[in-house]
Amino acid sequence: MRYEPKPLFLERMQKLLGKEFQEYLKVLEEPLQNSIRVNTLKISPEELLNRLKSKGWIIEQPFKDYPEIMIIKNDLAPGEIGRSLEHLLGYYYVQEIASMLPVLALKPGPGELVLDIAAAPGSKTTQIAAEMQNKGTIIANDVNLKRLKILASNLERCGATNAIITRRDGIALCKKLKDAGFLFDKILVDAPCSGEGTIRSSAVTLQMWNPNTIKSLSKLQKALLASALEILKPNGEIVYSTCTHAPEENEEVVDFVFKEFGNEVIIEKINLPIKCRLGLTGWDGREYSSEVKKSCRIYPQDNDTEGFFLAKLRKVK
Amino acid sequence: MSFIKILNEQEKQEIEKKLNEQFGINHIPGLIIQRGEERLFLFSGSFSEKDIKNLEKCAFIERMGVYFAKIIGNNIRLSIEGSQILKNQITKNIFELDSKQAEEWMMGRELGIKTGRHGFLIMKHGSDFLGTGKASENKIGNFIPKNRRLKEKG
Repeated sequence: MRYEPKPLFLERMQKLLGKEFQEYLKVLEEPLQNSIRVNTLKISPEELLNRLKSKGWIIEQPFKDYPEIMIIKNDLAPGEIGRSLEHLLGYYYVQEIASMLPVLALKPGPGELVLDIAAAPGSKTTQIAAEMQNKGTIIANDVNLKRLKILASNLERCGATNAIITRRDGIALCKKLKDAGFLFDKILVDAPCSGEGTIRSSAVTLQMWNPNTIKSLSKLQKALLASALEILKPNGEIVYSTCTHAPEENEEVVDFVFKEFGNEVIIEKINLPIKCRLGLTGWDGREYSSEVKKSCRIYPQDNDTEGFFLAKLRKVK
Repeated sequence: MSFIKILNEQEKQEIEKKLNEQFGINHIPGLIIQRGEERLFLFSGSFSEKDIKNLEKCAFIERMGVYFAKIIGNNIRLSIEGSQILKNQITKNIFELDSKQAEEWMMGRELGIKTGRHGFLIMKHGSDFLGTGKASENKIGNFIPKNRRLKEKG
């Protein structure tokens, strides 16, 4: 590890993980698996599998129900996965497995109206477009111009013809969309977060980690998720996700909107093809609704992935 | 607003007519959005023109759909995505590359090939559609953008 974890970070993770803490620390030292997602808008998993095998790549498809998710098992030169012809032609997207889970939970379908509120760099937006078979509409929003360019480039390479890219602060966008009468079938709130789950791919997160940032992000995330719920159709679904372990940015946010929206919103159980832990029902002296247990915590040591959190909510009124 | 122009039915038909003459393409499956004088985007979403106008009141629209073609004088050049999206309709002016030529092509190099043809050709290798080249007397000019090029080996 190039950066030393701060003592308070270690203390919090130990509190979260108990006797598994050492196992967690150990997996942080290990490189991530090379995973890709087949872009089914352009090629079938079978066809890409045959092409990649013929290049000498050893491919594993870990989930029977999701043949588009592949792990490359052999050692490749640095950057080789992103430089291949198949990547340049948009036949696959280099994406960490944990980052594929929010869209698997959201299950967007052809013909739906979907909002991806913090879309850049576009891994999940391109996955949504593939699930929708380019039918229906995705509003892919982000506020950062530099990141929007990367989003546009990725949507183009993947041939996501049903996406509209917008630039606005997410909370302000939701208010405007509400005033204009837009209501969505599905919304993905993949919120800006402190990134504790990404340490394996981005060790600098350890250096940037700060408890005050967690507090301010939690406030932002609550406002973002609450704003998004306002523009969900009755019976519409929203997935809230982060790549962090901090309960203030996860269960606390879900608990906040669950209580704020009263009987308008229910938390749904999520079925994912990897090991998930139940959401916490309390942290740091605060108690959360027992319904928040339906959220999923994903730790790096459980599935050899990055860390993630996700919750799925349905608007019932 | 707006630098986004949605082509009307007549304008779309004109584009389709040119694409038919050049490559045998009959139908563009969605709205065509024009940006600037030349760049054409294909939007297959379910949003109507009215929805799009309403959305523009909510946020700045950076882009709609995928860049698929460029108007060059009286002709149209398809991008990589344009050639892939419309591949099932392309029936003429296709140039089949061998493996070596396809690699050179994807490195962004012009190909020193006498095709006996002039004008835009769809470049194809096996099942891969690789955009459009411009054939002249002794070569095929390359338009693969830098960020989509294969790097030199070694």
